[in-house]
Amino acid sequence: MNLQVLESQFWSLCLQGVALGFIYVLISLGYTMVYGVLRLINFANSEVFMIGTFATVVAQVGILQNQTDSQSLHGFRLIYTLAFALVFSMVVCGILGILVELVAYRRLRALGAKPLGFLISAIATSIVLLETTRIVTFSRPQTSPRLLDKWSFGEVAGANFRIDTVMVIISGVIIFFVLDRFVTKTRLGKAIRAVSMSEENSKLMGINLNRVVSLTFFIGGLTTGAAAFFYTTVYETTQFNVGFNLGLAAFTTAVLGGIGNLRGAFYGGMFLGVLEQFASAILGSQWKSVTVFTVLVLVLLLKPNGIFGEAVQQTRT
Amino acid sequence: MNKKVQRSLAVVSAAALVFGVSAVSSATAAPKSVSLAFQAPLTGSNALTGQDELTAARFALSEYNATNPAIKVELVIADDQGLADVAALLAPGIASNKKIIGLIGPAFSGATQASLPAYKAGRLPLISMSATRVSLTDRRAPVNGFPIFKRVVANDKFQGPALARYAVKGVASPSVYLVDDKTAYGKGLADYTKPNIAKLAGSDSVPENTSDYTSVVAKVKASGANVVIYCGYAPDAAKFVKALRDGGYTGIFAAGDGVLKATFPNNAGNAAAEGARLTAADVPFEDVATPAQMVAYTKLTGIKVPGSYVTSTYNATNIFLACIKQGIVTRAGMQNCLTNGSFKGVAGDTIRFDRYGDIIGGAAVGAFTIKAGKITYLGVA
Repeated sequence: MNLQVLESQFWSLCLQGVALGFIYVLISLGYTMVYGVLRLINFANSEVFMIGTFATVVAQVGILQNQTDSQSLHGFRLIYTLAFALVFSMVVCGILGILVELVAYRRLRALGAKPLGFLISAIATSIVLLETTRIVTFSRPQTSPRLLDKWSFGEVAGANFRIDTVMVIISGVIIFFVLDRFVTKTRLGKAIRAVSMSEENSKLMGINLNRVVSLTFFIGGLTTGAAAFFYTTVYETTQFNVGFNLGLAAFTTAVLGGIGNLRGAFYGGMFLGVLEQFASAILGSQWKSVTVFTVLVLVLLLKPNGIFGEAVQQTRT
Repeated sequence: MNKKVQRSLAVVSAAALVFGVSAVSSATAAPKSVSLAFQAPLTGSNALTGQDELTAARFALSEYNATNPAIKVELVIADDQGLADVAALLAPGIASNKKIIGLIGPAFSGATQASLPAYKAGRLPLISMSATRVSLTDRRAPVNGFPIFKRVVANDKFQGPALARYAVKGVASPSVYLVDDKTAYGKGLADYTKPNIAKLAGSDSVPENTSDYTSVVAKVKASGANVVIYCGYAPDAAKFVKALRDGGYTGIFAAGDGVLKATFPNNAGNAAAEGARLTAADVPFEDVATPAQMVAYTKLTGIKVPGSYVTSTYNATNIFLACIKQGIVTRAGMQNCLTNGSFKGVAGDTIRFDRYGDIIGGAAVGAFTIKAGKITYLGVA
């Protein structure tokens, strides 16, 4: 046990944990939105994230023609490049989310399939996406060019406020706030919440169920795509299996907070990100997973619906 | 999920190997022909290692076939992705193909460990070109390769001390932070590096495929270490060294042969990788091959600068071929030939194996560094 690290790195670990937590939160929204509406775990979301990381690299290298060894960008070109890559990744993941719903779940819903059918379909879709990417990329890691020079705003109590860390946190807050307002305040958001509460009553109220479900998958894809962009910008690398560990962490995030609960996902992500950092630093990286999943089991023993529960009715705030 | 698919693919591949589907024939009609298998990662994140090694095996075979030998040799290629679970499913298929009388590989220690039960049961002789884990030739280890396993590289008993020595060379008051990736290879190398570190600032085991190294960077900084030694493979080393440099660490970064890949500087970014100190139980092929051999190698493979473990793979293949030239066409004969024979390496060195499969007298451990994004050989570590 290494408690000495806390003396000089406590706030650094907190900051990095929060930044990592925001990436988990954005991916977990993909799980939690879909669960809130359909009560199913969309396991393919981890592969949607993986495709998003490749989409980010494609946008930066393939479309905008930045080379992997190119110099960092500045000014308008930097903002344009990052914004384009972010939007591209979000749109690709959003559309992929809709396609996953159309191919893997819609027919099953129409036939009134049992939950096991949805689960197998989700896993199958995940494998198809994973293996196709593995074959196409020859399993090689793909490096993203360092377009954002990682300068620092400065250090406070040992915590280094680097541009990419700050960008992830601020963007994460904005995206979460916008999504939260969308679900609670807009007509479409209310439709999603209505379907979440009762499919049958929603239909009676004239809500187009298929459209709402597609919209939910699209929004989940958008947030997952944003997570993919931030991940690629911070870590500058991706691989066909990148979604597995991060998807698992995001799923844990959603369950910790209370799956189906947007704000639960937020607090779950923060908690998990910080917990991982401190477990790795104090106990050693080899104990990270043991710690995280022990805490998860303990939380579920005490609060079976997660820290914040499945809230009032799903996809609630 | 992914592992299940890998296993399925491995079973299919194994079946293909049994029926010789994936045999790359270099023979036409001949009075006698035998097969050698080649096992290494040809896909996956460590594919470059296997692909480099395969060029050497093909090159040695092309030289052999150019002499119009009485016994033709086919190369059966098996891709284990460098993963133990994939290797464990491939191995029975190779072992049951009786035409195969020797195996070049496996390339990775974990894959070797997982393959050994099948190869031992089939009494198939192996010569690994890059599996360096000490326990593979340690008779007391629970999983060892005796009597079938041999290797033409120095094991980690040699590489560990060399890595510890080279990492701190010229550093005033070195304080070392040691990190491994929890794999059979990484943990093994770390175990033999650690006792040779004079001042250990701290250590950590970070699982393979980790994305976020910020907590390790925090620990390195808190420890005040000025040398970091990483025992693992290139894809993770690239992420780690990048996180170290981004986190403000300015000291030495050193690593073992798992990181000695041409892709490492590119994946890490040239600035982060610059000056990294690497060791490998291997010397560059271009330093020991004749000019004529280099021309022929480039003509066959299209590669001007051979990659890692080309020399050792070339030697391993030639040792098998030397035995076949003597008329050996069975596994038992090959085992006897390898155990008692004396062979010439491409550098003119004499290769003889001890009872447990290591080269008698040990093999050289090379010192490398990254200069301007390129791996540069500095000499023996």
